[in-house]
Amino acid sequence: MVRFLLNRLGQSIVLLLIVSIITFFLINLAPGGPASTMRMDATEEERQAMVEKLGLDQPIMVRYLDWITNAVQGDLGTSFTSSEPVLQRIMERIPYTIELTIFTIIISVFFGILFGVMSAIKRGRAQDHVINFVSVIGLSVPAFWLGLMLILLFSITLGWLPSSGVGPRGTEFDLWGWISHLILPVLILTTTVLPHIVRFTRSSMLEVISQNYIRTARAKGAKESIVLYSHALRNALIPIITIIGMLIPRLLSGAVITEAIFGWTGIGTLIIEAARGRDYPLVMGVTMVITIVVVVCNLLVDLLYSRVDPRVKNV
Amino acid sequence: MMRKSKWSSLWLILISLVLLAACSYGSDSGTTTGGESEENAAAEPKKGGKVSIPIVADPTFNPWHPNAYAESNVVNRVLFSGLTQPGEDLAPSPDLAKEWETSENELEWTFHLRDDVKWHDGEQFTADDVAFTFNEIVLNEELGANNTSYFQNLKEVQAVDDYTVKFILESPLAALPAYLSFNTEIIPQHIFEGQDPWELTSFNKEKPVGTGAFKLKSYTSGQNVVLERNEDFYGEKALLDEVEYKVLADVNTHVAQLLSGELSIFALDDLSAIDRIESADNVGIYARETPRFFWIITNQNDEKYQDVRVRQAILHSIDRQNIIDTVLKGYGTIADAGIAPALKEYYTDDVTRYDYDPERAKELLAEAGWEDTDGDGIVDKDGEPFTVDFEIGIQGDLEAVSQMVQQYLMKTGFDVKLNAMEWNAMIQDVVVNRDYEMSLNWWRYPADPDLSAYMHSNAVKGNNIPGYKNPELDKLLEAGAQTSDVEERKKIYAEAQKLMSEELPYIFLWYPQEAQVRANNLKGVPDLAFGDALHYIHEWYIAE
Repeated sequence: MVRFLLNRLGQSIVLLLIVSIITFFLINLAPGGPASTMRMDATEEERQAMVEKLGLDQPIMVRYLDWITNAVQGDLGTSFTSSEPVLQRIMERIPYTIELTIFTIIISVFFGILFGVMSAIKRGRAQDHVINFVSVIGLSVPAFWLGLMLILLFSITLGWLPSSGVGPRGTEFDLWGWISHLILPVLILTTTVLPHIVRFTRSSMLEVISQNYIRTARAKGAKESIVLYSHALRNALIPIITIIGMLIPRLLSGAVITEAIFGWTGIGTLIIEAARGRDYPLVMGVTMVITIVVVVCNLLVDLLYSRVDPRVKNV
Repeated sequence: MMRKSKWSSLWLILISLVLLAACSYGSDSGTTTGGESEENAAAEPKKGGKVSIPIVADPTFNPWHPNAYAESNVVNRVLFSGLTQPGEDLAPSPDLAKEWETSENELEWTFHLRDDVKWHDGEQFTADDVAFTFNEIVLNEELGANNTSYFQNLKEVQAVDDYTVKFILESPLAALPAYLSFNTEIIPQHIFEGQDPWELTSFNKEKPVGTGAFKLKSYTSGQNVVLERNEDFYGEKALLDEVEYKVLADVNTHVAQLLSGELSIFALDDLSAIDRIESADNVGIYARETPRFFWIITNQNDEKYQDVRVRQAILHSIDRQNIIDTVLKGYGTIADAGIAPALKEYYTDDVTRYDYDPERAKELLAEAGWEDTDGDGIVDKDGEPFTVDFEIGIQGDLEAVSQMVQQYLMKTGFDVKLNAMEWNAMIQDVVVNRDYEMSLNWWRYPADPDLSAYMHSNAVKGNNIPGYKNPELDKLLEAGAQTSDVEERKKIYAEAQKLMSEELPYIFLWYPQEAQVRANNLKGVPDLAFGDALHYIHEWYIAE
């Protein structure tokens, strides 16, 4: 186990290094640097002053080495656009994204497994077709379009839900204010992952219930619910755990669009601001944090996998 | 049977939750929407309430900070004050300065300041703050402060006494009072002295101290900035309790929130949503004149565009009225020179006009030696077809407009390749590197007809992006800058406009009108463009 963890840690460090190099060079090579984000009528002197102030007149290798040296010591630099520490800006925003992600995962896993199992046991019947049909629609509809449509329906036409923001927080916090702001963004994010869970659960369940031991259980006269939920689902869950782990990065990328549409103060809107403002340190910081989250999620999935299925041993 | 009833109860719970949500949100939505028609509005200004304004990113609370972009301007205009502000006719009117005069040779301007102004932290505002702002921030070249291009003629600012300042210029600058009303707010010396003005995060990002009608109440990065009434404001106290700026990156959300009553006012950039807004009951659209003009520029270092007939042919090829009617939904008027009708005193339509006339365009091209000799539909000269690389940045309506321009030019015989790119990439190519052939964009300028910064030969390294040089136009622009006598300036700029329209340093397209959208219950907003109306935010109020 320890060897497995050390091995994974080593792999993760190499991965982080590669991601940092690619991101750093890509963003620096993208046309239009921080000086081009100034007003169109900024003078040459104004642009030059900014380049010098931000140290962008240094060769790119020197800047990367500077950045990585500081980063390994926990200093992700200072944001070009706000002069605040990058880590502070990320920490301000990350709880909001975590909030969205947690609600999305809970709802998606619950309903995903529920509908997946239902679809499998009603295979070929009306319920199965309806669930499959809705899943395909959910997979194919772009999040930004659906987001705008939901705003149109629930915020503008019906006036039921607020169209953006995170709602009153701090001293002015109220429960409904909080929930009402969460509903639409969580709904949109759910549509990006729920159909995957439904489809995986369905195929996984179908595979398991066709196996001999299930037939044996039934033949022994076990109750259908015990056969399905205790014998079949437990085994069908193994590949589902993998897919949930793999969906977390998708959720984070989905958050970029969802947060932008719903003005949600998370890491998704932060990376848009960073890219738009050519805020190199901030882009680097957010990318690294997201990479770390993905790496950790994958590790957790592997560990959980071995818990659920004793045949898998991480040794 | 048993299983069926389980599912039914689940659905029942879900439906009840949605209905519950509906009831509780619906119950308080009335107070935020509150859309009353213009006629029913209370005539008497009322104290209280708040307005919500969208901004696309976190602001920087320092008008001079190089990162203070448009989203910061709309906040800083309310938090801080300048020496002057745009009046109802856009001419500079008093703000921190009560009055001003210029010396005989127009090289010194004296501004007499108000003596009853306090900073939000209670300190007294004095002439030293003005001198500090200009001498230490604006004129410090190493800092590269925002908007310094307007003050390149400024030598120094002297504090004559506590409430008098003198601006000393290297050459006359009649537009100075107008420039002082355009994103030129004064910042407090007692906080910035001895500090790096760009690194002072405690001010620029956390707790700004201004002199404006509102002061900062709270700021949540990525979410909102809330300002509250400044009870010590030197002018009339604001009627609104609060002004909230909501950070909303997506412009479609702005429209959605306006319609749902969550936003109060903004200038609509993308006019494609206008029909939806027009059909809403609780919102109005107001056309506002602004000093702006849209243009096509052709790189004057490229020989083929140096011939004025080619530039004229381009203008004759484009049906500008059709673009205004379709893409801009009528919010604009055709431009043939750069001084916008918003500057009522100086604008003239007695200039050379360029109707949509593709035949005339072809004649002009033929005169310049460009004719379609091989019958492929593209004009050529010495065997070379007239190819055009047309670069634009993606923003608002620019892409749609450029596609129409491309079609029109191809009809006349230009082979146009349109290259739409991300905004910053376009700035890098066109503005910074000047590595372009043709581009389309706009200028917005302070409310003064002095367009030297965009057309004078001295500005070819500055904002004269086409690189146009014409001694005759230079002379007129200099003459206009050197006298503050309005009558004399009128004559000079009438002549300048004539010359611009003949020579086309820019291929003028139109003067856009701002489509200002706002909730019907928001009253007291002066008949000015949104950005200018913010100077009068203390007069705004919410009608029942």
